[in-house]
Order: sequence, then structure tokens, then C-alpha cells
Amino acid sequence: MKFQIPIGPQHPALKEPISLRMTVEGEVIRDADIRLGYNHRGLEKLAEEKNWTQNIYLTERICGICSHSHATCYVQGVEKLMEIMPPRRGLYIRYLVSELERVHSHLLWLGVAGHEAGFDSFFMYTWRDREIVMDLLEIISGNRVHYAMNCLGGVRRDIDEGQKAKILEGVATLRKRSEYYFRIGATEPTFVARIAGVGLLTKEQAVRLCAVGPTARASGITRDVRKEDPYAVYDELEFAVGTSDLCDVLGRVVVRVQELLESYKLIEQMIHKLPDGDIAVKAPRKAKPNEVVSRYEAPRGENMHYIKSNGTEKPERLKVRAPTLANYPATIEMLRNGFIADIPLIFAAIDPCICCAERTVTLVNFHSGEETTVSLSDLRRMADERRTNAPAKRNAVWPF
Amino acid sequence: MLNKLVRWSRIKSPWILHLNSGACNACDIEIVAALTPRFDVERLGVLLKATPRHADVIIASGPVTRQIKDRIVRIYDQVPDPKFVIAVGACAMSGCVYRGAYNIEGGIDQVIPVDVYVPGCPARPDAIIDAVVKLLGKL
Amino acid sequence: MTDVEIVEKLRRDLGPAALEVTNPDRRRIFLKVAPGSLIAAATLLRDSYDCAYLATITGLDKGETFEILYHFASTAANINVRIEVPRAAPHVASLTPVIPGAVLYERELQDMFGLVIDGIPDARPLVLPDGWPAQDHPLRKDWKFQRPAEIIPGGKS
Repeated sequence: MKFQIPIGPQHPALKEPISLRMTVEGEVIRDADIRLGYNHRGLEKLAEEKNWTQNIYLTERICGICSHSHATCYVQGVEKLMEIMPPRRGLYIRYLVSELERVHSHLLWLGVAGHEAGFDSFFMYTWRDREIVMDLLEIISGNRVHYAMNCLGGVRRDIDEGQKAKILEGVATLRKRSEYYFRIGATEPTFVARIAGVGLLTKEQAVRLCAVGPTARASGITRDVRKEDPYAVYDELEFAVGTSDLCDVLGRVVVRVQELLESYKLIEQMIHKLPDGDIAVKAPRKAKPNEVVSRYEAPRGENMHYIKSNGTEKPERLKVRAPTLANYPATIEMLRNGFIADIPLIFAAIDPCICCAERTVTLVNFHSGEETTVSLSDLRRMADERRTNAPAKRNAVWPF
Repeated sequence: MLNKLVRWSRIKSPWILHLNSGACNACDIEIVAALTPRFDVERLGVLLKATPRHADVIIASGPVTRQIKDRIVRIYDQVPDPKFVIAVGACAMSGCVYRGAYNIEGGIDQVIPVDVYVPGCPARPDAIIDAVVKLLGKL
Repeated sequence: MTDVEIVEKLRRDLGPAALEVTNPDRRRIFLKVAPGSLIAAATLLRDSYDCAYLATITGLDKGETFEILYHFASTAANINVRIEVPRAAPHVASLTPVIPGAVLYERELQDMFGLVIDGIPDARPLVLPDGWPAQDHPLRKDWKFQRPAEIIPGGKS
């Protein structure tokens, strides 16, 4: 007998409101449907009424976790429209903050994934380490979240020798701790057995449904905007793109861990190569009529902004496409033929940033059409039971 | 006598429900960060609950979108009396940068009565803990 | 392939269907086609230019016409395809037979601009709330939002 179960806008597993309606048959999900709209804030219309500088603060608040990504993507595009080029030191500082944000976002996600899989100690450890990164960001910019480092033409604040030494020290501590935890995580058989084989997405499906970011890279597609469309300083730095062929949640964990280690390398390179000079140039108030497509690799995938100007000091059109929206069709595909107890894990695996695109979960009975509500604490309990009963099938061999 | 006991337990250990009504997530990760080892509210007895029926205090963040308005009222009704609401962040207070957008009603106080307002964009975890303590001091 | 080679190849393959091909910046190519040849152009891009990845679909309100941009990306360049439809008859063919991942972006276009996408597999509104009046399309330039007065509890209104 098929059911439809709603997982409503307020639930503890996902920190944001979203509605999914899952059509289930017993424990297996047959179909899923996503209802967006709870987080829709009408940003694109609002952006047409504010000028270029005010829009930096507006785009920053699209998302709290990837706030610098949206602001930088926007500022990159507008600097092209205004035909100004920020000085090299400004660019290095801007992308240094980007890499620090990537570190903080991946540590956050690892904690959330551990929490969804029932491994709460992992959650507490990674979030404690994340506080090191938050301190570094606070030293550089003045705020833990929403750093507002960008201004049109460069960055707002400079970093000095003491801050550089602190950053290197923090990254060295983090690297030691990360390698230690990941060795523990890789050999913890219940954790691996819980996440292996869950949320399968083959390479053809990922290509057909236009998936982005670590979700696609875990299915073997090697695409990273920093390598294929290098903006600003990334063509002078050396790093590798993390991929995996596992196509499931374990693959996504592996890819994000690889990206963490690459980010530590990138941060150290940037600090050592930081050039001298100014940090910003003055930007004009108006931009000539033109259009620009700006792409950026956020921690969750590719972030794309399309900006069109008409010669005044307000944009004519700002279109934002956040990576989580691009991963939705892929998520529905992953949920099919999965178990109800896996819903929080599969959802957490694409690293949902629902405020970038939003949802809720509803499960609907297939045959009779009646609706029942399953609270997420029940789902979490089902997930924990499944974890304790799962056979310890395999030990992951981490590819590094 | 029993009333005094119940009141004492409510003050010493408030259980909270985290409600996100269309926010950008920054305040939400600061609320969750308040549970992690550096700030650690669990040592003060504050537990994060999954369902509204177990909670004493609603911690709400985010500007209210039209779609979620009815759901917030429904959740508020499900929380048993006496209940308190803390509005965290500038968005929950008045809408922050989104004032004037077509899908936004404004702050949380347009929908449910609020007891404590915590400013900040996002509000620091220290400020959130301070808000909970101030609320308990009023009881 | 460099940008210049891609522009040449597009002009050769599409012939008169390519109304305008520009290369304003490194790795950015803008191609304009008539609405009728959209599906053919998208199929060509997917098969011969390694552009199976559609980033998003943007709509623009230009007064008399709506302009729709399809942003494709390959490892060599970003190819953006532009079509224009008149405001009085805003019909566009759906891209989902060629690129199944385009369905969410087309639903958003229907919500925001009031375009009618023929052949879309799922025509429900994507982001607008349940009680939204069906004739209001927020991103059209002539739609202005009137904010109702706000009541501040315990303070001056």
C-alpha cells in the first residue's frame, strides 16, 4: 500500500523550511515532490530598486553559510560591467576569505552529516574546529558570518603580519585535526555502513539532470569552475579537483574531505604569495549598458549570476542561480527507491542551502491519497535503528 | 507548592524549539553553534526539542514569508502554555534588508506575539544565550 | 577550441538560423536565434559542442517583448542562447525533451513573467505562495508592489 507522507516546513533535521511530498510504499520511496516557496523573498525584484553598492549587502544575505560566495560572484560581474580591475593584493585577500569560507562550510556539513547518521560526537568535534575558522574570519573582517569584505573595486580591510601568522597557525592546527578525524571516520565501520550505498546517482543521470558541485563530482564528473573558467587568481595557484567514483553519500563525504585538504593548501599558498600594494580602486557610480555572466565555485557547487545594466546606478536585471536549486532534480532521482529513514541523510548529502532555494517534506499515500505526517524525530529514530542493525559491510579505503 | 516546583523547573531548564521562517540561515547556524562545545547551552539545561508540543520557548529567526505565515500560527498554537517567543536577528525583528519585498510580511511580531528581541545580523551566540537568561529572569 | 573557432563553427553549422553571434569577453559567447529554431540549436549544442549542462534560464522584460536567455556551459566556453517573444503572445517551446534538468527553471519563468511554456511536464507554480493571484507576475516591469501598512505591537504605527 502506498502512502504519501509530508515532512512539513518546520522540522529538526533540516534547519530551513521546505516541503517534500514523498509517495511511499511500505518503507521504500517511490516518488518525491518538492514544494518551494517558503523561503522565497523576492530578491530579484528588490535588487532592481537598490543601487550597485547596496546590492552587495543584499546578495550577501541570500545565504548565511555561503554569503561571501554570492557577494563575490556579484562583485566580479559588476566590476566587469564598470570595466575596473581591482589591484592584485585586493584580489588575493578576497579569495583568501573565499577559501576560509569553503573550509568553514565543509566542516559545518561534515558535522551535519555525522549528526544525521547518528554520529553525534563527530558533529561536536567538527563544530569545535569550525570555531577556529570563525575566529580567523572575525579577526580579518569583524564579523563571524556576513563578512562584507567586498566593495566595488577591491576589499574593505587589509591584513597585517600578525593576522597572517595567526591564519597559518590556525590552518596548521586544523590540518592535523582533520587528518586525525578522517582516519577515525574512515575506520568506524558503523558510520561507513550507514552511509555507503545510500543516495545513488549514476554519472549519466547526473549529466542529464545538470547536477553541480560535490554532488556531481562524487559521480565521477570532474568539473570545477575554478579549473575550467579560472577567475582572478586561481590560474596562478596549484590545486587538484577532488572526485570520486562511488556515486553515493560516502563518495560525497570523500569529495568534501579532499576539498578541505586542498583548501588548506590554497590558503597557505595565498598567504605566502600575497603581493604588496593597494587593496581597492575607486568605482564609478553608474555602469554602461551591458550584460555579464559571472560564475563562481561556492562550497555547494556552481553559483551563477547574470547582471544587466542600462546606464543608471541601479541594475536592470539581476538573476541569481544558486547551486542547490540545480541539484533538486538530482535529489528527487536519488530519493526514488530509497528508504524513508534515509531521507534526512540524502537531503543533507547534497548540502542543502534551502535559503538559496527552498523546501519542505510531505509524504502522500500512493493508493488512497490520504496524508499522514511523520515527524522528523521519528525519522531520526528509524534511521538510528537501521544503523544499529546494519551489517558492517565494508571498510572504506580513503583515496589519499 | 506544586506550582512553585513546576515554575522552578521551567526556569532552570527551558526546552526550546527552533523555528526558521524563511531566513538566510546565518542566525540558524548561530543558534546551533550555541549548542556546540564552545558556547554549550546544554550545560545550562537548555535542550533543543524536535516537536512544538514539548517546547517551552520558541526561538524564531527569519522574516515571515506569505507562504509560511499560516504554518507559524499553527505551530504557535501547538506549543503548550505558558509559552515564550524569542525573535533572533534583524530579520525576525523587522525584516532586515527584505523590507518592501512582495513576499515578505515583516518581522515575526506581525504574526505571533514576541517577548524578547535579539538584534544583530546575525546575532552572536553569546547574545542568544543572554536573551534566554534575560527571559528567565522575568519569569 | 578557442572562442574564435567556436564562433566560426556556430556560424557554419547554423547558417541563416544564427541571427547574431557575439563574443564580448573571454569565454563568453552570445548567440541569438528565432524562437522556432531553439530546440534545434539546443540539440546541436548538446551533441556537438559538449554543452549538456544548462546553468539556468533568465527572463527579461523589455517592454514590447520578453527576452529569454539559456545559459549553456562547456569546458571550452559559456554559450548563451537568446530568443525574443512578443508580449502579446508569450509562448515558448519547452526544452525538457533535450535537457530534462530544465524543468525547474521553466516553472520559475512561468511564475515570474507569465510566459506559457508549451510541453512542460509539470506546470505548477514553483516559488510563489499558494494564495497568489494568478494574473500577478512579479518580475514584469509594470507590476509594482503596494506594501500594506505595518502594525508595530506596543509602539507607534
